[in-house]
Amino acid sequence: MAGLLTIVGALARAVWRDIRKLNALAANNFFLFCFLALGQSGAFLQVILGLLVLFPLSADPLRKVPPERLALWPLTRGQGILLRLASLCLSPAVWITTGLLIWLASPLAGIGAFVAATLIYSLASSFSRFSGVLPEINLLRHIPRLPGRVGGLIQKNIREMLSILDAYAGLVLSIAGIVYRLAATHPEPEAFFGITLLISLSLSTYAQCLFALDAETGFERYHLVPLRGWQILGAKDAAFLLVLVILTAPFAPLAGLAAGFMALAIGHYPSALGPTPQPRWRFTGGSSILLGFFQVVLMFSAATVVYRSTVAFLAVCAAVWLGSLWYFGRQLERPD
Amino acid sequence: MIACRNLTKRFGDFTAVDGVTFEVAKGAICAVLGPNGAGKSTTVKLLTALLTPTAGEAKVAGLDVRNDRLALKRAIGVLPEDLGLFDSLTVAEHLDLAGPIYGLSRSETRARSGQLLTALGLENASDTFADECSYGMRKKTALALALLHNPQVLFLDEPFEGIDPVTSKTIRDILTSVAAKGVTVMLTSHILTLVEQIATQIVLIRQGRVVWNSTRAELPGSLEELYLDLVEPPRTPELPWLGS
Repeated sequence: MAGLLTIVGALARAVWRDIRKLNALAANNFFLFCFLALGQSGAFLQVILGLLVLFPLSADPLRKVPPERLALWPLTRGQGILLRLASLCLSPAVWITTGLLIWLASPLAGIGAFVAATLIYSLASSFSRFSGVLPEINLLRHIPRLPGRVGGLIQKNIREMLSILDAYAGLVLSIAGIVYRLAATHPEPEAFFGITLLISLSLSTYAQCLFALDAETGFERYHLVPLRGWQILGAKDAAFLLVLVILTAPFAPLAGLAAGFMALAIGHYPSALGPTPQPRWRFTGGSSILLGFFQVVLMFSAATVVYRSTVAFLAVCAAVWLGSLWYFGRQLERPD
Repeated sequence: MIACRNLTKRFGDFTAVDGVTFEVAKGAICAVLGPNGAGKSTTVKLLTALLTPTAGEAKVAGLDVRNDRLALKRAIGVLPEDLGLFDSLTVAEHLDLAGPIYGLSRSETRARSGQLLTALGLENASDTFADECSYGMRKKTALALALLHNPQVLFLDEPFEGIDPVTSKTIRDILTSVAAKGVTVMLTSHILTLVEQIATQIVLIRQGRVVWNSTRAELPGSLEELYLDLVEPPRTPELPWLGS
């Protein structure tokens, strides 16, 4: 039992360091928005936002221990189960979500969320094991290679983007918006703009850490290939904008594009500084709350001008984005 | 083909590479040896434009490492220390991605990729994602990436470490073959017996400085003797509790 407690202690330390280092939830624009909006929103939005907040639970904290090392430790089957349960309880999202629901709804809702979290966690763990046995069910494998010199890079970048939960939060919002559009007798056009903003928001933090999933090893490869910095950064942006335009297409795509340009223009700054470690199947952690706030204000302003005043403002947004791409592309070319 | 003079790299107060000077001729296989932290990998990073020298100058394939970075990257192939692979791409997709970046057509990329995968015994792993590959497979993928565009100069950081003997022989055969065709190879390694078999030039580095530079034929005795004498004298501390 002493050994088990030592492992749980080490795991808790690792999770805590991870939270401090990555600022994983606190600096995610969308999570902050959900946190603020949960108390103000109606029942429908509460369910959607609550569900989205539960997403981070699909990441297994026990994955911090290398599987080979875990298998080598002399633990009994019972200790193994205890370790899995303890690892679930270490997930900060469990406590945040449970606490939020107890506070905003009822203790029963909080307990329900904990049970739902356990189910999501178990399903995600099973899926990841299953997908290891049957690699062909990995849907990301089927993303086609795009044409052009950096087409392979864009393909890789789309895969990376679809390996983080931000994109799926956007997908849930997009599907919810489509259902609303089809099911409502008189759909409110203003709601489409709102959903576009929410989708853009859900993706925006990723724009601050475009190289996160490449890690140091992939980042070094970028310095070895004969490509300009703007080409490397542009391949990242192309993947981001492609996903954003697809998700916002049924609503207000031009406003979404304006928000995307601004999210990238600001996000290039922390991204070009180098990769910040980012685990897959988690929400991304942005560089800072202040930068995230600045990014969101610019995104919302640009999208509002394009949606309510003039589409021509999209050209200004594109110009700002191109300027940022050029400048931070040059920064990226600096070897050290 | 490689020429550096007084090449120096400092990180704050620490001097990783301290006035290194040597030349490597076309078609040579130059082994840069030294203990961990001696400055071998930093030297390779300086010569491959991954780091900027603090002082001194270096040319690779006639290109300045400071001012001709893009052209230099086209002329060289690199097996970096941490392999530089993307977890979200399969082995074959790495090669598909790299070909067009180096100006190869899709068909040429496919043809060369197929040959490289076969030569390196990776044909059955071509659809495996990099993060699902064994270390040896990852290393071979990184080597295939280094060779794909037919570079003039190859830089290999510890190519023989962590791989099986058959793969090791395959890599040695490939290096000997490309060197015979005029490709210059610079490699770092700790496996002296393998180095002794293929290297035509030996450079020993200790604490960021070159302490030996000669052709293999000019070695006074065995490479191991010279290494232990000049670079890293053996020390075997007593651990009395072990096995007691």
